[in-house]
Amino acid sequence: MNTPLKLGIIGAGRMGITHFSIANAHENAAVVGVADPARLVTTMLGKYTGVGTYKDYRGLLKGEELDAVLVCTPPALNPEILDAVLEARLHAFVEKPFMLAAADGERFAQAFDAAGLVNQVGYVNRWNDLFTKAKSFVEQGLIGRPLRFRSEMFSPTIIRDPGDAGWRSTHANGGGAVYEMASHALDLIAYFFGTPDRVGGTSLTKVFSKQVEDVVSSSLFYESGLAGTVYVNWSDASFRKPTNKFEVFGDAGKLLVDQHGMKIHLAEANEAEGLKKGWNEIYITDVFSSVPFYVRGIEYTAQLYDFIDAIREGKPVRCTFADAAANLRVIEKLFADDASLRAGAEA
Amino acid sequence: MSIDRTVFGDNQFFGINHMSQDKAQERAERFAKLDNIMAVYDHAIDAGVEAIMLNSNDRARSICDRFRAEPEKYGHLRWYPSIPYPHKYANLVSEKGLVGAVNEILFAQGAKSAFGKMLRGGLAVATMDAFKLMKMLIDQEMEIFHGLDVRVVFLQNVIVDLMLGYDVPDPFIAYCEHIKKKYGAYPGLITQNMPMLRAKLIEWGIEGVVICSSINKIGYWMCPDRQAYDRVFAENDGEKYPLMAMSTLASGAIAPIEAYEYINAHNIQSVVFGASSPGNIRQTVSLIDPAEQPT
Repeated sequence: MNTPLKLGIIGAGRMGITHFSIANAHENAAVVGVADPARLVTTMLGKYTGVGTYKDYRGLLKGEELDAVLVCTPPALNPEILDAVLEARLHAFVEKPFMLAAADGERFAQAFDAAGLVNQVGYVNRWNDLFTKAKSFVEQGLIGRPLRFRSEMFSPTIIRDPGDAGWRSTHANGGGAVYEMASHALDLIAYFFGTPDRVGGTSLTKVFSKQVEDVVSSSLFYESGLAGTVYVNWSDASFRKPTNKFEVFGDAGKLLVDQHGMKIHLAEANEAEGLKKGWNEIYITDVFSSVPFYVRGIEYTAQLYDFIDAIREGKPVRCTFADAAANLRVIEKLFADDASLRAGAEA
Repeated sequence: MSIDRTVFGDNQFFGINHMSQDKAQERAERFAKLDNIMAVYDHAIDAGVEAIMLNSNDRARSICDRFRAEPEKYGHLRWYPSIPYPHKYANLVSEKGLVGAVNEILFAQGAKSAFGKMLRGGLAVATMDAFKLMKMLIDQEMEIFHGLDVRVVFLQNVIVDLMLGYDVPDPFIAYCEHIKKKYGAYPGLITQNMPMLRAKLIEWGIEGVVICSSINKIGYWMCPDRQAYDRVFAENDGEKYPLMAMSTLASGAIAPIEAYEYINAHNIQSVVFGASSPGNIRQTVSLIDPAEQPT
């Protein structure tokens, strides 16, 4: 197991070049090839890092001997790419939201599992130290039986007319606040509680975008009686950078958590966790884990190194194709619910 | 080479308050007014601060204009700009790709600018030499600080650490040479991976670079861990690689006295700190040992 894992990057946009850097710094992995249609990027990377460069995934898969690929392309392209990756029998890390249709996602989840290939999707909040801590508190029953939750995400991504250019402008390409942002807020819910059974009261609203939604809200229900809401707004200029907020109310306490801190209110003290009755505050500086190399956040390194370890050592994967496919099912329900509520309102 | 022992940063104006959303909002409201920002700078100068680190963000130009407007009051200050403003690029790059983003940024200069002329001359961004492009982007950011006494020009960690992962010396060499030659200043690199960056700079034979990184007692944002940083302090030559500490309070997790005891006890040449109340500013200035620790 001493030969480094050979990785290929498909799509050298913001996430692709980030993963390149992080993966390359891993002592047991090396990026050997990159595929992207932008010649400036591939020329630069090829000239200075010495990796093989290709204008698309076909060239990369043909030209390099790989163990795994990191797929960082707009999601509409991913089914075609993953068919080829599967045929080449390579492990795959795919950026969220994975793809657009749940049925495609389920097909790839089954196929990669059946082929014994490690498959992971980049819902990076699952590697945030505070969300992980909050999840362990809920699982230990610190706040009792969870009854309600609220998953919110805000950013100033689209705060003026974005025009029609760019792959973000249509659903067909995977644009819109549902695919790009609500997918994160929904994944956090699934990370804590599994996939919800039903959605209702969905409202998708445009603020600045012409063809896609900028604001998303909906309610989610579980057969167990657990229920909650999701509210996502990427046209909120009062936030300086993307922020997730997650709240859970249980019959023995309440928990509010974001990427930087957590507040937890308990009916009873919990000595094992050092938490007192009433309010407690925990900051990221209390729970952070260390990573060997940092580019954009501890969680980005942690998720990619987990992928590499899963391939090398068979460690379990924290966010599989199946997890992401289940998320796409919820997203489809959101779109359908919004459409039927609109149709009902018009009739 | 000598750099200021105490440098006044800008996180108190623009940074996210990790501890409280409400405080962050309060702060955003207060510092929406340029006068309130300048009042804090005046407190810092009263407390003895003579050096300022400022990111080239969307407020930086108007702040620099105020400093330029009163040379008799502010002319003695030494400047430590950091470039670029990461948020400006982040969305553009996801939206338009790297080439589109670069095009957009350079075109924003207008057709009469040097870039505009080059582009009209038929030179497409997609085929341009990467380092030439990098220098043009640096010069555009640095224009904000024209006329100020610039001592060190820092490259933001999101870029430094990205390039560090690629393990290639060329962009670091090109950056450092450009800063020295064009601005007569020291190149500075901000990183969350100080021991690895320093080791690479030594391996690549790049010297005379200020390395700015989070340095605090609890090891927050110190990769791979605090022990690795402590080993660097023990052996580093502060002439070749002056070390500047940031995040010394670890977002408020460490009390100031304890935090600066740790800093003062180690071979660290400089400290950048942010504070907004006159009391906190004075306290911090008094807690940072003026004398450099012997190496």
